Amino acid sequence: MSGSPETGTLDPQVNTTGELRSVRTSVRHDSAAKHVSGAALYVDDVGEPAGTLQIAIGASPAAKGPIVGLDLDAVRTAPGVVAVVTAADIPGHNEISPVGAGDDPLLADTKVLFHGQPVFIVAAETREAARRAALLATIRIGEAEPLLTVEAAEAADSLISPDFNIVRGDPGKALETAANRMSGNFPIGGQEHFYLEGQAALAIPQEDGDMFVLTSTQHPSEVQKVVAEVLGLPINAVVSEVRRMGGGFGGKESQACQWAGLAALAARVTGRPCKLRLDRDDDMVMTGKRHDMLARWQVGYDDDGMLEAADITFLAKCGFSTDLSNSVIDRTAFHTDNAYFVPHIAARTKRMRTNTVSNTAFRGFGGPQGMLAIEHVMDQVAHRLRIDPFDLRMRNLYGPDRDVTPYGMTVFDNIAPEVMEKTEALSGYRARRREIAEHNAENPFLRKGLAITPVKFGISFTATHLNQAGALVHVYTDGSVHLNHGGTEMGQGLFTKVAQVVADEFGIDLDKVKITATTTAKVPNTSPTAASSGTDLNAMAARIAAARIRERLTDFAAETYDSVAADIRFRDNQVFVGNRAVGFADLVRQAYMARISLSSTGFYRTPKIHWDREKGQGRPFFYFAYGASCSEVTIDTLTGELRVDRVDIVHDVGKSLNPAIDIGQIEGGFVQGMGWLTTEELVWDAGGRLRTHAPSTYKIPTSSDVPAEFNVHLHDGINREEAIYGSKAVGEPPLMLAISVHSAIFDAIAGLAPPVVAIPLDAPATPEAILRAVTAVREARP
Amino acid sequence: MPKVSMTVNGQAVSADVEARTLLVDFIREQLRLTGTHVGCDTSQCGACVVHVDGRALKSCTTLAAQCEGASVTTIEGLAKGDDLHPMQEAFRENHGLQCGFCTPGMIMSAVDMVKRHGGKLDEQTIRHELEGNLCRCTGYHNIVKAIAAGSEAMTSSGRVAAE
Amino acid sequence: MAAYFRPTTLEEALAVRAAQPVTVLAGGTDVYPIRANKVGWGDMHRDDVLDISAIAELKEIEQTADRLRFGALTTWSQMRRADLPEAFAGYQAASRDVGGVQVQNRGTLVGNICTASPAGDGIPCLLSLDAEIELASARGRRTVPIQDFITGYRQTVCGHDELVTAILIPRPPAGAVGDFLKLGARRYLVISIAMVAAVIAADDTGVIHHASVAVGACSEVAKRLHDLEAALLGQPLASAPDLIEHAHFAALKPIGDLRASGHYRDSAARDLVRDLFVRLSAEPKRRAA
Repeated sequence: MSGSPETGTLDPQVNTTGELRSVRTSVRHDSAAKHVSGAALYVDDVGEPAGTLQIAIGASPAAKGPIVGLDLDAVRTAPGVVAVVTAADIPGHNEISPVGAGDDPLLADTKVLFHGQPVFIVAAETREAARRAALLATIRIGEAEPLLTVEAAEAADSLISPDFNIVRGDPGKALETAANRMSGNFPIGGQEHFYLEGQAALAIPQEDGDMFVLTSTQHPSEVQKVVAEVLGLPINAVVSEVRRMGGGFGGKESQACQWAGLAALAARVTGRPCKLRLDRDDDMVMTGKRHDMLARWQVGYDDDGMLEAADITFLAKCGFSTDLSNSVIDRTAFHTDNAYFVPHIAARTKRMRTNTVSNTAFRGFGGPQGMLAIEHVMDQVAHRLRIDPFDLRMRNLYGPDRDVTPYGMTVFDNIAPEVMEKTEALSGYRARRREIAEHNAENPFLRKGLAITPVKFGISFTATHLNQAGALVHVYTDGSVHLNHGGTEMGQGLFTKVAQVVADEFGIDLDKVKITATTTAKVPNTSPTAASSGTDLNAMAARIAAARIRERLTDFAAETYDSVAADIRFRDNQVFVGNRAVGFADLVRQAYMARISLSSTGFYRTPKIHWDREKGQGRPFFYFAYGASCSEVTIDTLTGELRVDRVDIVHDVGKSLNPAIDIGQIEGGFVQGMGWLTTEELVWDAGGRLRTHAPSTYKIPTSSDVPAEFNVHLHDGINREEAIYGSKAVGEPPLMLAISVHSAIFDAIAGLAPPVVAIPLDAPATPEAILRAVTAVREARP
Repeated sequence: MPKVSMTVNGQAVSADVEARTLLVDFIREQLRLTGTHVGCDTSQCGACVVHVDGRALKSCTTLAAQCEGASVTTIEGLAKGDDLHPMQEAFRENHGLQCGFCTPGMIMSAVDMVKRHGGKLDEQTIRHELEGNLCRCTGYHNIVKAIAAGSEAMTSSGRVAAE
Repeated sequence: MAAYFRPTTLEEALAVRAAQPVTVLAGGTDVYPIRANKVGWGDMHRDDVLDISAIAELKEIEQTADRLRFGALTTWSQMRRADLPEAFAGYQAASRDVGGVQVQNRGTLVGNICTASPAGDGIPCLLSLDAEIELASARGRRTVPIQDFITGYRQTVCGHDELVTAILIPRPPAGAVGDFLKLGARRYLVISIAMVAAVIAADDTGVIHHASVAVGACSEVAKRLHDLEAALLGQPLASAPDLIEHAHFAALKPIGDLRASGHYRDSAARDLVRDLFVRLSAEPKRRAA
């Protein structure tokens, strides 16, 4: 057997001791039957212990300023109120930054830094009582001028950390010598996660002052650590557990901690179980979002549209605190090349500290903004040169002898060209390009646009230490298996995929594997379920744990039945020892009687990756996931209204562990990305108040926004790296397939403009933004 | 406090409730039927859809007191024992769910839709009728497929008329 | 502790209404969302609740030779499915796009006008249909034209002791057709950026003899475009899209807000009216009843 040091004797790509029966099949989501019957429990559904109190939050009425008065008397005396808790009541640290930045208080203490920042909490007998009481506070904030935009923060030199740039060659000089140059500013909007289950936590005091927290989080270990620090406890005094989330999308990676921390704080103060479920308005106001950015771009290119130089500066709105912004915006820089080789390139990032909610992880983690910017540049160049944007993109892709990224990693697995060509063929791009030209010639008002864009997305946490995972597997004496690992389930099907892998490791049916809630008491020091890496890491760790038990069973069977390990196979709930078949449960029972351990942990760390941030060089990614999409849109040039008519996708998941789950991720990711780029617009007023704080004003896609024709193809390939059974990560990459919608809108507008006119199409391309671009183009006509 | 009496999933229930208690809170907190979810608190997302006297309603836009004497069906009342309702089975079978939070509301809306259209549902109608149910995970593709399949199954098993 | 009243007759309801401040509840689709917003919680706690949904006499739609009467509990779903003259096609189209099916099943036409949001979908339709609003109190009944009923942003003339009991609409002229268009971030489940409703009647030769056009979401209160209507009278229906002039929209003062800027609304309103005229002139014949 082969295998890397990380996986011992296991070959990550194949199963040599049995056959794959569960892996590669479209088994249903493990909780499907519970979801359809309403039996799947989320935090707010779990029966509350007697005496549980409900928490409401008192929030800052201003975006910035010292707290000059805090009168909570009326809150304390309101009906049903049991406790009112402020920063002064925190026994440990009033600090929850996930990166130790020291700028993320649990509760505002002496000053507030954004509108809606939690200042105090109320614990009351009912939710209604807590919420009504919270409104009775008088919070007076001294005058101060808030920084609400990246431009204002830039003028004030307000940063969360120093600039970080990834630069290759001499973009400045190459821009000067390039045959052609263009430049522009491209505003890119943020995005609210709108996980349908809002943030929620239930904290239950234990003996010895310990705390148990049931939490809706992608990162139970971080919740555990934060709760311990807030309460002044060692980490081993806190257990955090999550069975499932009603969506996460990055919004519950670092930002579930505050709500768990507040619930735990209230539980400590009152000695009673306390639950905090943010209502939707509070959730939207108080939790961070995808970073909105301003991209200032310059590009130099030859007459064939080959990019010679690109220099793009991203001003990212980080909000009031550091949170995960540094890693997020590093990824913007990593993905500014998308799938293109640009000889001289600079991706410069400025991390602006503003008086707004602290922006955070969101599916794609900064990558989407970097990729959207370079795709926007491609669109502008194609328009200027009158070259079909698809041809221009093909020309600029990574390829032989142009296969090194700006950060020095070879694109060793480059399949972008074939994925693009396949998309071109499956979508009938050329013929439709002609049809659309005819349609547009006849229709002055309703114009169509078409575009194909690629995705190349790096897989691994760019914070290298996070690329580790643990698992715990028990086999009981009836042959049933208990599976636990550090990954969390938020709908992405992780638990199902890991269970498929474990079932095949033992050669047993999937329903013999019990999937259990993620808890810090079983697998410690886990990484967040993020960076698309949940399956890559946890399935491998679980497989290693299961393989250890299987190896012990193999050795035991070889000894008992006078055989050798190489002749023993596990499949169909049996263990085949030469010509003899023993039931799996029978062998397990015999092994137990012979005092063989039937429990094991498993640990995995991603091999080969390294990253020197100082030098901006390394191999931060284990591999890349690829994809391409073709979108056709119709816009109404009088009103700016948009319809997405047809979408064709080719996406690379390596060799799929579960095709149905992967296709679901692709469709869902695309539509979520389409929302980001079309209808989802965040609006803050001049006082720094978020005005789009409910679904009545913030528009995520509905069933009718989905393209009428929507074709998804899995690219037939295998991961060239040793990832679990040759599969590839699928959580984030599909979101960026939606960039083709923005490009198709650009294409529709470009048809109205002579080549000398740049197209000022912002993101999101709301009807108003589309009409603004159309009008600008019309008014610019010579 | 007014006393309300209604039938929920075939069982007569009766309780004293505060006048302003929403039907969804009554169902979740008093009856402990937590399959009906609260997603947005503002009548937009549809995670709380139940049937009241045979019609789909958002239970966050209805007071418990307004349902005096009514017959209420929640997601927990659709299955007959261990046998899933054809629409539930269709969602499971067609991967019409990811995180599952919207699923109960989707299914309740879907069953109502099939009943109103007598099982004749085209894709466009399904999409239009689903506009009051938000999903953030799936891209709706499999949900629409599931409803089409569930509609067929309901029609062929005679459940359209029976309910 | 707040009281909850659910009378079964109008008389009882009016007695409750006169006796104390109450939050009036019919479908509840606006009352509850407001409850979830913080300003609203306080109000809901302070006021008693008057639930009028059990009053049978408010549920009827009546058609007589000279008018149609929609009881205060008429829901969007009832409106959408009712068999009504072609002039109501716009109102029915608006009903189809309000809120989603579950809200249409519950929300009422009258609730929509009592909320008096500038973005209320029903209001331009009612303006285009020359609707009157019937109010009742223990003192008696009165009717108020729709344009006088709504006085400002979420303000109406409904007194503290009054309830709206019905919407009254005169039977539209023969051959009148109606239509409705709205523009939002998308077409449904959305609060509109701009919307337009029109009822137009042309004679056998295609000459317009009745025109009413109203625009919503572009001013504090939805407005009729009387200048535009005057310009249409006596003109061929087919030419309607070309008769639109900038000055016809002077009555509007588009509001810039989080959903759209005033400038965008202004331009969108004109384009919406043009689109709607194109639709009406392209299909002048009545659809099969």
